[in-house]
Amino acid sequence: MIRVRELSKTYRVPVKKPGFLGSFQSIFSREYKDVHAVSGLSFDIEAGERVGFLGPNGAGKTTTLKMLAGLLYPTAGSIEVGGHRPQDRARAFLERITLVMGQKQQLLWDLPARESFELNRAMYGVERGPFKAALDELVTMLRAEPLLDRPVRNLSLGERMKCELIAALVHRPQVLFLDEPTIGLDVEMQVQVRQFIAEHNRQTGATVLLTSHYMQDIAALTPRLLIIDGGKLRYDGALAALAQRVAPERRVVVRPADPELAALGFVAHDGKMVATVPSGDVNRLVQRVLSSHPLADIGIEDPPLEEVIGRVFREAVA
Amino acid sequence: MEGLGRAFTAFPAIQRVAFAGLVAYRAEMIIWVLSATLPLVMLALWNAAAAGGPVGDYGQVEFARYFTVNLVVRQITGAWIVWELNWAIRKGELSPRLLRPMNPLVFNFAETMAALPFRSMVVVPLVAALLLWRPEIAFRPGVPALLAFVPSVALAFACAWLTQAIFGMFAFWFEQSMGFWTAYFALWSLCGGYFVPLDLFPEGFVGAVKLLPFYATLGAPIDVLLGRAGIETVGLQVAWLLALAALARLCWSRGIRRYGAVGA
Repeated sequence: MIRVRELSKTYRVPVKKPGFLGSFQSIFSREYKDVHAVSGLSFDIEAGERVGFLGPNGAGKTTTLKMLAGLLYPTAGSIEVGGHRPQDRARAFLERITLVMGQKQQLLWDLPARESFELNRAMYGVERGPFKAALDELVTMLRAEPLLDRPVRNLSLGERMKCELIAALVHRPQVLFLDEPTIGLDVEMQVQVRQFIAEHNRQTGATVLLTSHYMQDIAALTPRLLIIDGGKLRYDGALAALAQRVAPERRVVVRPADPELAALGFVAHDGKMVATVPSGDVNRLVQRVLSSHPLADIGIEDPPLEEVIGRVFREAVA
Repeated sequence: MEGLGRAFTAFPAIQRVAFAGLVAYRAEMIIWVLSATLPLVMLALWNAAAAGGPVGDYGQVEFARYFTVNLVVRQITGAWIVWELNWAIRKGELSPRLLRPMNPLVFNFAETMAALPFRSMVVVPLVAALLLWRPEIAFRPGVPALLAFVPSVALAFACAWLTQAIFGMFAFWFEQSMGFWTAYFALWSLCGGYFVPLDLFPEGFVGAVKLLPFYATLGAPIDVLLGRAGIETVGLQVAWLLALAALARLCWSRGIRRYGAVGA
């Protein structure tokens, strides 16, 4: 469905020296520098896959998504999405994709969201019957019925995001590019949006490529990860395999907290004792804990995803 | 242009949301429409200037007719794409519009046309008031003038919109592109017939000025309706329409490649 080869994007940005003198000089001679946002990126995504696109700020995630959606022209390399070159922005291509940007909206600000949906129906050329079916389905899944007839400007951020998702999906796109779809939402709304995306993918078989700073989004939605940093691909594979490769340890958590366990390598943390040990040592450690604390509540966890990703980024920088 | 067929079928929906948007901001829109009533101010000025006798071949009645038609044409040909495009490009607001399967320029064109009924609601009472105040302004144009006026004012609208679109697209290349529009607007006000009928310009200069695009967007339909210009003026407008459309297409295809550099 998506094929990316040696994709690069370089921005040429003006450099201005600080102060009045710098401003004055820039009138007569302006300096520029090249910023390589994406460098030689290659990957494939099959139809129906859910893929998480991760990287620190400035890694090139959004630039890549925008190139995939046809908003930006690549400096070099090639992209194919559903058999189309995105930058040609052919109608058949635009009708098959959608890009939800958490920071930018397509809804008409002063009108009820229903007007935006109807406008999209007309512009995408969707017949009334299939449109109503899709709208009803999306509204039910997102529990958005009470929101449709209120001016968008009067909706909360979370309510707006629900309507943005409906507007973006009402033409039933086959490829969803989601750029920080849960940004700024409260925890409950994040959960609702995650459930919705997973359910939509299950029901329609749409391909999903998602960027997010919330690791819960990634853990809940995307079995496969693409990690980029400095515009280059650092990891492409399963989330579980990444944890094994980068952080082959497990966390042994014991409740209630008992300072005596410090002798076994545990540290107190939030009313419990936590020890991080190589996977092969977990059984031995658990037996030692049980021998001295037979009534203890013992749990074994993977390291937090934030920690795993953080290690990938640090390794990339090193 | 790509997407015109879809724009045609989507036009009722575009019209409805455009009109609803205008009504949502009704006070601002009325003020904005009224801000285009400068011809009434010019009418008062030239009326005073002609009190002692005609200026050229314009007496008080001719001035009144000229600026009344000027007011109507200005309202019909009004657009706002230069501001909207400039803002959308610089702030990245163009992105959501680029994702739709309809060229954002085509969408804006349909949206601008959708505002015409609203503009009429404001301008009709103004013209009616003028005719009540000065009944001698009323005139009956000949059939040929009327037949030529319809395409002439439509061409003026298209040329004015295209010109604004081109200046709006300068934002792809320049950070402060509205400066170009301000300079153009000053020239247009003078050479388009907004402040003064071009026939009052020095002889020898008039012919050259009327060949410029400014005249095609305002003065041409006024002169056509008043019987001061013929079908050849419409031909000139067609030539400008083709030239401006080609330039707009070029600006769009080149500019959109630079979009990411400025604010996508």
